[in-house]
Amino acid sequence: MTPVAGIGLRAPHLAAVVRDRPETAFLEIHAENYLTPSPAFDAVEQLRADYAFSIHAVGLSLGSTEGLDDAHLRRIAALVDRLRPTLVSDHLAWSISRGRYLNDLLPLPYTEEGIDVVVRNVNRLQDALGRRVAVENPSCYFSFAHATLSEPAFLSEVVRRSGCGLLLDANNLFITAQNLKLDPRAWLDGLPADAVMEYHLAGHAVNDADGEPILIDDHASRVSAPVWALFGELVERFGPRPTLVEWDADIPPLEILLGEAASADRLVAEREAGAARAA
Amino acid sequence: MPLALRDLQAEMAAYLVSGDDADILGSIVSNAIDAPARLRIHRHQLYESLATALAGTFSTVQQLVGDAFFRAMARAFIAQTLPAQPVLSEYGEGFPAFVDTYEPARGLPYLADVARLDWALNVAFHSPMGERLTAADLSSIPGEQLPSTKVGVAPGTCVIHSTYPLDRIWSASQPGTSIATVDLGERGICLLVLRRPDDASFVALTEAEAVFVASLAIGASLEDAALAPFANDAGFDLSVTFRRLLDLGVFVALQQ
Repeated sequence: MTPVAGIGLRAPHLAAVVRDRPETAFLEIHAENYLTPSPAFDAVEQLRADYAFSIHAVGLSLGSTEGLDDAHLRRIAALVDRLRPTLVSDHLAWSISRGRYLNDLLPLPYTEEGIDVVVRNVNRLQDALGRRVAVENPSCYFSFAHATLSEPAFLSEVVRRSGCGLLLDANNLFITAQNLKLDPRAWLDGLPADAVMEYHLAGHAVNDADGEPILIDDHASRVSAPVWALFGELVERFGPRPTLVEWDADIPPLEILLGEAASADRLVAEREAGAARAA
Repeated sequence: MPLALRDLQAEMAAYLVSGDDADILGSIVSNAIDAPARLRIHRHQLYESLATALAGTFSTVQQLVGDAFFRAMARAFIAQTLPAQPVLSEYGEGFPAFVDTYEPARGLPYLADVARLDWALNVAFHSPMGERLTAADLSSIPGEQLPSTKVGVAPGTCVIHSTYPLDRIWSASQPGTSIATVDLGERGICLLVLRRPDDASFVALTEAEAVFVASLAIGASLEDAALAPFANDAGFDLSVTFRRLLDLGVFVALQQ
């Protein structure tokens, strides 16, 4: 089986990746870290000859009512043009209001009005890039009282109207399901399988809020056992896809990150073998 | 009647920044965990992630004051100045001026200058390297054309003036340093900050050298730039200075 798992390329690993060129299905970068020149950008350009890239944006604010920022969109388009990644993605979230950037992925109320806003922004992004992008399910810590749609229904409608793809983050889904007391498997029902372009895996923390446990998406540890199980479920339902292991805080040695990616590849291979036996 | 999405986003943004009671709380499903506790997760993320970004950009300031003091100062800055766009390496231009007015840092009068140096290093780090002027390039220019030639200063190059020994303060704050104390009464300094292939760095300049670089940076010819330093330094040695700056890679390659 061809490996599907890639790693997030983060500053502490950059020199080692340039030097050792470890095997991995792809390298992912956060778009916003590579929109200005830097020695790190020069290194990424070098690596581009040997690796497939996934460009994951965190600041387009696809859910903002004020629309996408022209200057930011131009810079993202120039980066995509330069690195020619295999995948481009951002989140079902908003982070800009009245021209101020909040540096967080804030949830949307899942309403018809929200769909209109996201579809308009996704269309604009796809037009600017001349390609399909994937939209990622966020980690949710609350829901809105006036929501009229479930998250998967909202995502499915965004996909239907914009033609975008889906990036399914197993960790985010697990977090949202735990925090909002949803069944993650029911959440997956009815999602358009052919829209699924990529999976994400990461670690989370369990905090205490008013004496209740609440899961926090911190990308600061290994993928947890229940998230691996949910990832297996995704692979069974939708098939293997490029799969990213994200680790953005308390970043471990490169070997540990590569080990997590190897675990993802092993799990996919096992599920594939299981499916072949069953067939 | 639920809030229109635009108003909901504006209210939530205002709440996340201020933490003051707002209508937004009524839009959020509470059940076992109340709305303020749920929103606190995002409020924490907003402040701490931006403070972490500022700590990366102003790493020398952070080394000097320690993480707890730095984060408190960063949070006060964030509360009044959020980023205008999502590229965080471009966030914090106003931080040095803020440090200057931050009351708890009053006992560290050099701190704002350290922040200016950190910001200049950050700007240089995120400037294009490009081709730099070499001695061989210069030798291709006919001698009689040299005085009227304009050489460009590399993008991101910047001169910082301080009345404090900023280079010694910077060195003393680096991890693993052996410098225990810096005499703040030492002479002030001019530092030339520039992008190098693998990093951004700085060197000390004399006042006359700084004047020379500044003249070239605003488009003066070599001849005019060479005359400028003599106003305050009769002993200015053009050939030594020019050679030094050339070796440092301060000038961009000539346009073909």
